[in-house]
Amino acid sequence: MKATRLTYQYIPNICIVLYIILFVYAATSKFLDFYNFKVQLGQSPVLTAYADWVSWGIPLLELTIAGLFLFPKYVLLAFYASYSLMIMFTTYIIVILNFSDFIPCSCGGVLEKLSWTDHIIFNVIFIAIAVVGVKFSENQLNSKFGNL
Amino acid sequence: MKIKTLFILLILAVSSITVVVVLFLLSEHEVHRNNAFVRRYPHHPITKKYDLPIKYNSYYVSGFDNDILYLGNNTAPLHLLEVNLKTKDTNHIQIRMKSKDLTFQSLKVKMQPPYFFIMDGSVPCIFRGKIGDWNAHLWMKDKAYFNQAMPVDSNKIYINTISSKTQMTTLGLIERQENENINIVLNTDILEKQIDGVFDVDGIMTISPNTGTLGYVYFYRNQFMVMDSNLKLIERQHTIDTVQRVQIKVANLNDNQISKMKAPPMIVNKMAFMYNDLLLINSDRLGKYEDEDMLKEASIIDVYNWQKESYEFSFYFYHIGKESVKEFAVFNDYLIGLIDDKLSVYEIGKKQFNQVSIKQKTIRL
Repeated sequence: MKATRLTYQYIPNICIVLYIILFVYAATSKFLDFYNFKVQLGQSPVLTAYADWVSWGIPLLELTIAGLFLFPKYVLLAFYASYSLMIMFTTYIIVILNFSDFIPCSCGGVLEKLSWTDHIIFNVIFIAIAVVGVKFSENQLNSKFGNL
Repeated sequence: MKIKTLFILLILAVSSITVVVVLFLLSEHEVHRNNAFVRRYPHHPITKKYDLPIKYNSYYVSGFDNDILYLGNNTAPLHLLEVNLKTKDTNHIQIRMKSKDLTFQSLKVKMQPPYFFIMDGSVPCIFRGKIGDWNAHLWMKDKAYFNQAMPVDSNKIYINTISSKTQMTTLGLIERQENENINIVLNTDILEKQIDGVFDVDGIMTISPNTGTLGYVYFYRNQFMVMDSNLKLIERQHTIDTVQRVQIKVANLNDNQISKMKAPPMIVNKMAFMYNDLLLINSDRLGKYEDEDMLKEASIIDVYNWQKESYEFSFYFYHIGKESVKEFAVFNDYLIGLIDDKLSVYEIGKKQFNQVSIKQKTIRL
């Protein structure tokens, strides 16, 4: 059963680390170039009216979720939250690509260089990671295989 | 994985998608809908004649000479397509000019029978030649930069430019006198600043082909101006829309010294064309009782009579497939529009158009 035990220990950890890196990176690069980010959001046809609070809300939310991952108690919650957030981002991209004649990009750092298709693939991978994370951390909470 | 977990994941997915879609619909609604005005759509103000394939989508309207329509081409600046609207005959024209090492950036060809003008405001230079002869000669060089230009008559060009005095967009005229001296006239009072005097006053220039009356229609507010051929203001009027204040946000990205629009601007007037007393304005804004789905099939064009200070009626300019009209013009009995790589030709209803275009200076609404 050693393999299983290792799997159960490492897979959630890898998922957690990946998500922390993603969110901290994305949030920091948004804050570093905050003004630009806000302008881009304002140009977005979906969010114009809400640009002001969304521009603060999104990076803050990303940092909060990254923070939650650090507490074993909240890992499951954090995975659910990340899962929802990633689905929102993906929906946003799909909506913008298909229903708007105006395509801005508001992602931070190197993520901005991704093409839209790559972006969707990237997001889908992270959604999958969240699902895996949910599955494993859920089992973990119910099992005796130690805490993270 | 437990059923419960799957269920939670499903619920989260559905609600996340809903949130984003709802946000999108709300902001779409805010941009398009305005219940404060009502349009009138009479029956058959225009009748479709034909769609003519013109092979490229880079054509723009250069002008008319009787029943001949001239189309300029953005990618081949010295090429013209001549279309006889009656017979549908087409003819390709190559303009000849001695450009003397000038590097052009945005050449536009505009007709002012019996002349045609070739203009580039970034050089800046203007060439003139005779229609039919197609040899262009230098007419003006280096006197004034301009963004857009249109000939008013054979020695006068209507321009919009940045005034060096105010650093704001200004309307002007370039006139060439008998002795070939160039005279620049700017009228800084016509465009009224609401935010920065550059973005907010942006709009559409138009000239009535027969009378030489000048028009300017703001993009972002419900106002247009009519000037005589000496750029003296005749009328300042409102459209049926209710947006009086420009709704744009300009952001100055300081580190790179660039001004950018902070939000997608609310465009009140998209395109305009003046024909005698009539001003035709295309707007995507919906009034009361108008079906949103209509915008997927057609562009709305409102007809105003500036002499009578009245809104007359509206009509639909139908798309071809999914492509909407990107430029339109009226001449004699024709309404023409460029849609993708096609030219749509309509006949205008004499009843609707003539009734309103008869000069009725005494009757004011």
